[in-house]
Amino acid sequence: MELLILNATICFPASPFFNKVCDVLIVGNQIDTIALSSKKTFANYTKNKKNWITDANNSWLMPSMVCLRSHSSDPGDEHKESLESLAEAAIAGGFSTVCVLPDSNPTINTKSAVEYVINKSKQLPAKLLPYGTLSQKLEGKELSEMYDMHLAGAVGFTDANHAVKNSGLMLRALQYSQIFGGKIFTHAEDVNLSTGGRMHEGNISVLLGLKGIPAMAEEMAIKRDLELAKYANAPIHFSHISSKGSVEIIQKAKKQGIAVTCDVAVANLIFTDNDMLEYNSNLKLNPPLRGKEDKRALWAGLMDGTIDAIVTDHYPQNVELKDVEFEYADEGMIMLQTALPLVLANAPKGFEINHLVEKLCINPRNIINLPIPELEEGSFVDFIIFDPNEKWILNEKTNQSKSRNTVFYNKEIKGKVKSSYTSNLNYEN
Amino acid sequence: MKKFTQKHLLGIKDITQEDIELIFETADGFKTVINRPIKKVPSLRDVTIANIFFENSTRTRISFELAQKRLSADTVNFSASSSSVSKGETLIDTVNNILAMKVDMVVMRHPAPGAAMFLSKHISANIINAGDGTHEHPTQALLDAFSIREKLGSVAGKKVVIVGDILHSRVAISNIFCLKKLGAEVMVCGPSTLIPKHIESLGVKVETNLMKALNWCDVANMLRIQLERQDIKYFPSLREYSMLYGLDKQRLDSLNKEIVIMHPGPINRGVEITSDVADSKHAIILDQVENGVAVRMAVMYLLASQQ
Repeated sequence: MELLILNATICFPASPFFNKVCDVLIVGNQIDTIALSSKKTFANYTKNKKNWITDANNSWLMPSMVCLRSHSSDPGDEHKESLESLAEAAIAGGFSTVCVLPDSNPTINTKSAVEYVINKSKQLPAKLLPYGTLSQKLEGKELSEMYDMHLAGAVGFTDANHAVKNSGLMLRALQYSQIFGGKIFTHAEDVNLSTGGRMHEGNISVLLGLKGIPAMAEEMAIKRDLELAKYANAPIHFSHISSKGSVEIIQKAKKQGIAVTCDVAVANLIFTDNDMLEYNSNLKLNPPLRGKEDKRALWAGLMDGTIDAIVTDHYPQNVELKDVEFEYADEGMIMLQTALPLVLANAPKGFEINHLVEKLCINPRNIINLPIPELEEGSFVDFIIFDPNEKWILNEKTNQSKSRNTVFYNKEIKGKVKSSYTSNLNYEN
Repeated sequence: MKKFTQKHLLGIKDITQEDIELIFETADGFKTVINRPIKKVPSLRDVTIANIFFENSTRTRISFELAQKRLSADTVNFSASSSSVSKGETLIDTVNNILAMKVDMVVMRHPAPGAAMFLSKHISANIINAGDGTHEHPTQALLDAFSIREKLGSVAGKKVVIVGDILHSRVAISNIFCLKKLGAEVMVCGPSTLIPKHIESLGVKVETNLMKALNWCDVANMLRIQLERQDIKYFPSLREYSMLYGLDKQRLDSLNKEIVIMHPGPINRGVEITSDVADSKHAIILDQVENGVAVRMAVMYLLASQQ
């Protein structure tokens, strides 16, 4: 099987063809030839039964993306999202690999639960890598069997959106996971400061009469966990940081040489609390959408290297849990299919294609030790074709998720993942 | 004739100064009406209004009901204790069921902030927010400002302090919007644990010392301590709260001026205000109650007459 892709803008920053329009010939699942389109290398190449030609029309050819944080709902709440629909949504959005949080029901708490996700994912268009719980059943009391889950293929350990209240437990998790090279991913939140909070504490929470979650609740938890990581001499990853203060704290820690990495959720890069004036329950998120200054600091943190990755924080919820009074709505928004166009549409000046690839493709792989896709003759295919200009609507027809809890539902989105080419699968969107 | 600009009364934040003044002018007329021997007018004949209360209320519900009766509207009452809410029915379903019986207007009290706005996106009837959690209570703010205007001639330029639990108070938020829109200066006073962190963004002064606040103001609005709304303890005891923020005769007498005392009720006598103050000539607490009927008549009349 041969595939010829004509006129693709190469978005592999390490490639000598970076930012150039090229023709790429694929044979089997390997790159055979890359040549500048202007050279018309394949002028006489003809389509037949075994050959397939597609014109990318200057669309981007970039590495497939990896998301470090998504909720799955399978097992337990398959009506929100099954592993099948999660993988479909992922690949439609350009993600070849998605790390799945363990807060399903039952939780991913044992070797067999880890294997359930991994085995099922083998038949699916995107690879799903489960986290194991840090504490047994997310209860925050006892360590879960991390080593056993690690052997089964758990990508790391986290209690998802359940903050680990007990400092001693967090310390033991950091110390223990280190023996076998496991990594702790933490949701930083001091629940003594955030309990009852429904949104970011600021001018808007006063206007809306909603109890605020101070940025301090996240920042104090990050400070605590950094101290614990330093003490344990263990690496730590902070998931979905949201405040300016958090960026500053992690920036300082990195300068001190602490092995810390972190990510930010797409929603916190595109919205602020000011967007919540009409109590839109699809914007009820954890961490909450914060202020303008925070959003600006998050983008700056991405560009200066403080924040390593962007995550979708995809969190499906059925409509009955969202179309209620804000107070009673469950948190979360689906994001896998819209992440790339939304990041691109909201990126400030200075955030270039190389940043985009670094934060969505390269660094997430580095954090969980996956090989980095290359684009050179002989390398295995692992890329997507993304048209930054094509407009489409996320609706019943195009939405691959079983849920539709997003403010972008039925809205026009600019930028579309056209197709994905990963080792054993070619996917047309 | 001036027209009311809103389809609903969800909060004071969304209405204009002109809207407020129109409500007051209309309420002036209704206040005369309810003091006549025949207190009833046919203005809302054939208009059906549902009072839907998902939270306990005596005064607000009675005030609305009386206002509706004075306007000759047909009313139905629905309260959470006698409702299907406990059976898991959603707010939209509950209200739609009532609307299916051809109801024109809904007066709703609900424990969740934003519930009135949420409802307004789903149904077509006029909605009056009679209190949504810790968010707004617009008719209370209107009747408070109306009462200040009645007592002092105008609201503009007056100094009003709101004392007490600002954090859990929809009355405070609505009052701040209303008084500011009418040109008053507003201060909030209470223990720091009960004052929202970013309240200054609404353009109010913050004071934790009651005597300083009283010396500053023309009007003191003493809020009820809402123990039922506090999930955790924000001060050690009612006794100590009263020591710091209770308004008694001694404090009032030590001021070298007269101030107007208000309270949205129901009063915790001896906690935020002592009986001798509540019953003194400075207090306009019962005028507030009377004005509440006139102001609510005005609001319902203006909303209904748009159609």
